[in-house]
Amino acid sequence: MKVEKRKVLQIVLVTVMILMSLFFLFPVAWMIANSFKGDAQITADMNSAAAFIPPAPGGDFFDNYVYIFTDTNFIRYMVNTLFYAAILIVLGVIVNGLAGYALAKIKFPFSDKWILIIMMLMIIPSETIITINFLFVAKMGLLNTVIGYILPMIVSPFNIFLFRQVFVGLPDDTYEAAQLDFCGPIKYFFTMVLPMSKAVVATVSVFTFLNVWNDYLWPSLIFTSSDLLTAQIGLNAITSNDNTTMGQTLAVITMITIPVIIVYSFFSKQIVEGVIATGSKEG
Amino acid sequence: MMKKNTKNSIVGMAFFGPALVLLTIFLFLPMILTVIYSFTDYFALNPDNTHFVGFENFVNIFGDELFTTAFLNTVKFVVIIVPLQCLGALGLALLIHKVAYCKKYFKVAFFVPVVMSLAVVSTLWIQIYSPEGIINSILTAFGIEAQPFIYSAKQALPSIAIMSVWQGVGYQMIIFLGGLQAINPALYEAAEMDHASAWKKFKDITLPELKPLCVFVFITVTIGAFRMIVQPMVMTGGGPSSSTYTLVYDIYETGTVNWEIGLASAMAVVFVIFVVILTIVQNLLTKDKGEKK
Repeated sequence: MKVEKRKVLQIVLVTVMILMSLFFLFPVAWMIANSFKGDAQITADMNSAAAFIPPAPGGDFFDNYVYIFTDTNFIRYMVNTLFYAAILIVLGVIVNGLAGYALAKIKFPFSDKWILIIMMLMIIPSETIITINFLFVAKMGLLNTVIGYILPMIVSPFNIFLFRQVFVGLPDDTYEAAQLDFCGPIKYFFTMVLPMSKAVVATVSVFTFLNVWNDYLWPSLIFTSSDLLTAQIGLNAITSNDNTTMGQTLAVITMITIPVIIVYSFFSKQIVEGVIATGSKEG
Repeated sequence: MMKKNTKNSIVGMAFFGPALVLLTIFLFLPMILTVIYSFTDYFALNPDNTHFVGFENFVNIFGDELFTTAFLNTVKFVVIIVPLQCLGALGLALLIHKVAYCKKYFKVAFFVPVVMSLAVVSTLWIQIYSPEGIINSILTAFGIEAQPFIYSAKQALPSIAIMSVWQGVGYQMIIFLGGLQAINPALYEAAEMDHASAWKKFKDITLPELKPLCVFVFITVTIGAFRMIVQPMVMTGGGPSSSTYTLVYDIYETGTVNWEIGLASAMAVVFVIFVVILTIVQNLLTKDKGEKK
């Protein structure tokens, strides 16, 4: 029977995929389960299924978490990163948004050439210029400062391009009407263009947040003072301390991942759209 | 009253200005300086004593054993990661597209590692790969000998490569899923009327429709693999015996640890040339598709 055959096929398919999903999830399950254990317990559980099961909630259940919150600078690192992300989202939306709008709607000298240059810049891997940017920031005396960290991160050819692609589709006539007085264009951008383009603003903001939260190389070059570290670099500082146990390390990386999971669960639509946009821009 | 064109120009430049200033300082200038420095012996701790040295840096880096090792390691990473991650992503997307139950669970499950940062994933997998770690205890349960993984010069590179695929494949899977959902169902309905086999439908409809995406994914994964640095930096420090030292790692250390900006710039130029060639190849391949259509 055709229907029967289909059903059997589906059951096989689901079984195979569940096995595959286990391969993807087992490190994460292990991480979370063992972030609640002491090192002796982790080692003892390693050879049984208990390795993937959190201990029964009891007196010392949150010990690792209490330790990283009270005995390390971890909260400081998290707050720092949130603060940097907030600044970069605001500045990034304004600077890249304005540029994207200019390239989409306004005729100015070489405006059509710039969009080609922006697209070419998207190819250059940031690692290749990181050394020179580090030298610049050092020469300006901005090492170990928030400004030195943030300045080179504001502008993003990719975000300019994303904004431009969306703004091209906006109607022209409202812009003409807003031109009547001289501060019209700026007001128009903030009160009309951005509110009309909430989706792309959300996408750019979410990607900026993820980028700042997950970035490793640049903050590790700029920051050495413990007060300024981001979560990812702070992770390094905490785990390189010999007194930190395996359970505490797992608690730190679980905590670092939680904000990202929150962002993904609230903005999964924007993220998927952004991911697909990167895929379809060539196609 | 100002002329409309002049006013437009001023507004346009005012809008584009802030981005242009930042682009100039932190992108154009560094790019130009990288090219210029690559022909000098600029040493950041003694910048006054800088000379033009022609192509000496380029000759030197290809004669340098560490750089050639780093280059070969990077190629090895690319050779392992690219097929696994591209075909893996396509395979997962096709499976999720076909499966009738728990679709949402599978989407999330395969995407979970993407959410984690490279530093977090690397820190986690140091434990996963540890000699007394969970993978070795599973292997032992199946009667297989425990493996050294990242502590052996032979296994470290493939171990890190497989971890990277595990971390990244969900991202490209989402891209492919988007592509699969965009294919016009009428194409399949027509094929169904002709009693086309599943394989024929895949070969004649799905693959050609996905071709531009395949090229895009192939190139981005390749460039991503060429950029490998954080994972070996966190997990192995490039070792054991430089077996996981990569091109970008070498650029980074030569520039920011040894301060040999001239040398590091030459390496960066070589790296960018590779990336640009790959991107041109991509454009040629996708254009080819457009013309055939």
